Amino acid sequence: MEASAINTRGAAAPLGERPSRARLADPAFKVFLTVLAALVLVLIAFFFVFLANKAQPAFSQFGVFGFVFDNDWNVSQGVYGALPLVVGTLISSAIALVIGVPVAVATALFVTELCPRRARSTLTVLIELLAAVPSVVYGLWGFLVVIPFLKPFQQWLADTFGFLPFVGGPVAGPSYFIAGLILAIMIVPIVSAISREVMSTVPPDHKEAALALGATRWEMIRMAVLPYSRRGITGAAMLGLGRAIGETIAVTLVIGNAPQIGKQIFDQGYTLAAVIANEFGEAANNKIHTAALIAAGLVLFVLTLIVNALARWVVTRAERVDKPAGRFRRGGGGGLVAGSTTVGLTPAPVDDIATVVSES
Amino acid sequence: MHLNKWLALGAAGVLSVGIAACGSDSNSSGSTSNGSSTTGDAGSSVSATLNGAGSTFAAPIYSQWGADLKGQGLTVNYQPVGSGAGIAQLAQGTVQWAGSDPPLAPADVATLKKGTPAQFPVALGAITASYNLDGVKSGLKFDGATLADIFLGKITKWNDPAIAKLNPGVSLPSSNITVVHRSDDSGTTKGFTQFLANYSPAWKSGPGVDKTVKWPVGTGAKGNDGVAAAIKQTPGSIGYVEQAYALQNNFTFADVKNSSGKFVSPTLESTTAAADGVKVPDDLGISVIDSPNAAAYPISSQTFIDTYQDLCKGAGMDANTAKGFVAFMDYALGTGQDTLTKLSYAPLPDSIKSKVQTAVDALQCNGAPAKG
Amino acid sequence: MSTVPNVPVQTRLQAISAGRKRKDVAARWTLGLLTGIALVPLVLVIFYLLQKGLKAWSWDFFTTDPTGAFIGNQGGVKSAIVGTVEMVLLASIVAVPIGVGVAVYLVEFGKDSKFAAVVRYFVDVMTGVPSIVFGLFIYTTLVVSGAGGSSFAGWKGGLALALLMLPVVTRSAEVVLQLVPQGLREAALALGAPRWVVTLKVVVRTAIPGLITGSLLAVARAMGETAPLLFTVGALNATSLNLNDQMNSLPLQIFRDVGQANDQLVTRAWGSALTLVVMILILTLVARAVGRRSANS
Repeated sequence: MEASAINTRGAAAPLGERPSRARLADPAFKVFLTVLAALVLVLIAFFFVFLANKAQPAFSQFGVFGFVFDNDWNVSQGVYGALPLVVGTLISSAIALVIGVPVAVATALFVTELCPRRARSTLTVLIELLAAVPSVVYGLWGFLVVIPFLKPFQQWLADTFGFLPFVGGPVAGPSYFIAGLILAIMIVPIVSAISREVMSTVPPDHKEAALALGATRWEMIRMAVLPYSRRGITGAAMLGLGRAIGETIAVTLVIGNAPQIGKQIFDQGYTLAAVIANEFGEAANNKIHTAALIAAGLVLFVLTLIVNALARWVVTRAERVDKPAGRFRRGGGGGLVAGSTTVGLTPAPVDDIATVVSES
Repeated sequence: MHLNKWLALGAAGVLSVGIAACGSDSNSSGSTSNGSSTTGDAGSSVSATLNGAGSTFAAPIYSQWGADLKGQGLTVNYQPVGSGAGIAQLAQGTVQWAGSDPPLAPADVATLKKGTPAQFPVALGAITASYNLDGVKSGLKFDGATLADIFLGKITKWNDPAIAKLNPGVSLPSSNITVVHRSDDSGTTKGFTQFLANYSPAWKSGPGVDKTVKWPVGTGAKGNDGVAAAIKQTPGSIGYVEQAYALQNNFTFADVKNSSGKFVSPTLESTTAAADGVKVPDDLGISVIDSPNAAAYPISSQTFIDTYQDLCKGAGMDANTAKGFVAFMDYALGTGQDTLTKLSYAPLPDSIKSKVQTAVDALQCNGAPAKG
Repeated sequence: MSTVPNVPVQTRLQAISAGRKRKDVAARWTLGLLTGIALVPLVLVIFYLLQKGLKAWSWDFFTTDPTGAFIGNQGGVKSAIVGTVEMVLLASIVAVPIGVGVAVYLVEFGKDSKFAAVVRYFVDVMTGVPSIVFGLFIYTTLVVSGAGGSSFAGWKGGLALALLMLPVVTRSAEVVLQLVPQGLREAALALGAPRWVVTLKVVVRTAIPGLITGSLLAVARAMGETAPLLFTVGALNATSLNLNDQMNSLPLQIFRDVGQANDQLVTRAWGSALTLVVMILILTLVARAVGRRSANS
């Protein structure tokens, strides 16, 4: 089927000897890219070293564990314990992921599998329009519109589901829940767009095989599309998480900025990113306060690292479990490894590989 | 394929150049219809750029003055990043002057190593206790102790006896009080908490005085406008809002008891009165809160322009820019004071103005008088 | 040959039972519903933006600079629009090629190397950095030191934005490049193409729609961020084409205007926000059209 996509017309020529300059181009290319990656690594490392240096006064005063796990962020008394901030970050990001990722994956599935062709690009643009709205607008809209509008709903949720842990209590307005909700809206476009890209590369023969064997559309999605897309969707979710964890202005407008560990999701809270945004302007000339804020940033990075590492590990394990026979590995050289579970050819936009090859 | 990409980029480039070109001479001072911009008490044809940063409270003032002075060749660039950041940037030399609400503390002075710092009070403001209470108009009376108890959460209902005692004859509803406070660091919070601490030992030993404190009760909102919006949206709420904001948006606010025992409304006059009669230290670092003046509104505040005594050696200006800065300060103390009332800030009283003018005249550039 | 997905034996070649059919219908409806739910906030926010911002739009709004005045003529936001275009353009020119380059490295050459794993983790961590931290970093390294002969400058803000975009571009490019089927690479290599040709002309070319998507999302994010610009570009009301000058931008203009007591300024802030959204929309449409053309040629 797809073999016809390869036009063997010009195939004979490239199989002859390669000019010497082409032989140099490959290692040069690899070196170039490696150097680029190394430079980026150096930049990022410098970035973190720089921040660690600035945060040092806070860590030496409170100790690393003291800083992260003390439950008291009191600026006026010069006490900086970041636990309420860490908890707030985790809670709001978790809510954002729990609400946002399923919705985003659902929209990606809908656009790639279920939606009529004509509506596809319109829907795509619409979802991505969500990313076009600046974060400050989401924050203001959340504060001015969503909070008053959802207050009775939050109260109803608190009353009806009060038996659940973490649900209940008086609803002030700004809360972890609202922050999570706004963050969910903000991460939907990125998670959806990347998931959509991932799902659109599922080999059609996988899907057709499932359908041909009598699976319903949903079963086909569950069996052919989702497993193939698992790694990519996780990557997309991690990008969404990064956004949620690092979002400052939208969160600070709707979470109430109370440096306490709230007992319910409808309590006011605070996050690591929001505290930096709120306090940096006035803290700038106060060494220990600035150090504490930068240290809060570092804690944030460690959090991101942990979650990302966890996600990558989970996906790698899942892939190892259900990798069917048929993958092969070519060691040495450029280290080509089958990264996907298929060894077939997909109709490529590059129709004429041989022509491309002979051009080089 | 590549061609299209280049075409798109090129179109974008041409478009931006086009927009810039056709508007490049719109820097004519879109000045003002209040006609106060061209009285030349700046009196100079100095062309200079003045870079400042700091207080968000005072940002509208410097922005307006900058617009008014455009026609006289002065460009004022001001970043509203917060008083602390402003002083930090002054200390690091990335700006030439800073806007700060509190007077320079010894810790701040220690960071300004490039010379002797100089600070100039330029405007006054006030913090109102604004509320949203059905049927109750402006003028509800409060004193420091009662306000502190409300913000501590000890007084929870509007018809609490403490409030009723201060307001005989006013029919107060029995609804709950919802407290609204700032969630971001702010000089406004510092001023308000200072006032509360002056009248409430419980507040002083509890949340204390700072740009941000641990509020025992209430909802946090970001920025003055956030608190204002929260108050507007929540019946039965009370919070503290800057006077300029409250006046321009017709808020309902309280009369607060001052140190002489009078209940004073936060007008521009009562705010200016707060600086009249207050002790003026040699470095001009006045603090007008809880002023001894009987006509003063107690929760008043001031804002400074900070720089170095030697503008050139310290603040890094050249001789021309230093001249421009002096012209700017002269304007600030002259016509600029009239503009303040239009922006709903309170002007300095004459007693303070003259002292500041003397200090401005003494500014130097490399040892010589800066005004040239 | 193609591998067969894990379809359980008993579901093959049988008539579709009522239970399975119901699940299928339920699933379709759920997916459609969730998609609709995703669009509800979009409609609400856009409506709100239009409601508050459209009245700010006028010829003057787009062609005059802000004057800084609160009373009297306040001017438009021309310098903000131009400044945003300049800085985001710079940021994209820096971040997109580097980001895609690093992603190519990670996918093509970095499957087993420890070095690549370290790069990968560091880039992951960068995706979660709050934007204000990038601004602080640039402030301390470039602004205070007066690099380039200026303290605050547009290009420094552009670099802060590039730092913000870089991890997003890299990560999304990595995801997309990983999905280019192995078979394509192998076929091209089998035909004798050198590695760099395969990578650039086959792998990257195939992934272009995905790369554009990822980059666009990063650009959209950069356009709307205030914090990286707060301590890096200073404040300037006039339009400047010199990236070494202080610069205005739409997010900064919104930040300055939105909290003011003056209603006209607040309206100007919403008008700026609406302008930002429209600019990103136009960019998205243009980039997609270009990408589609490039992938199909």
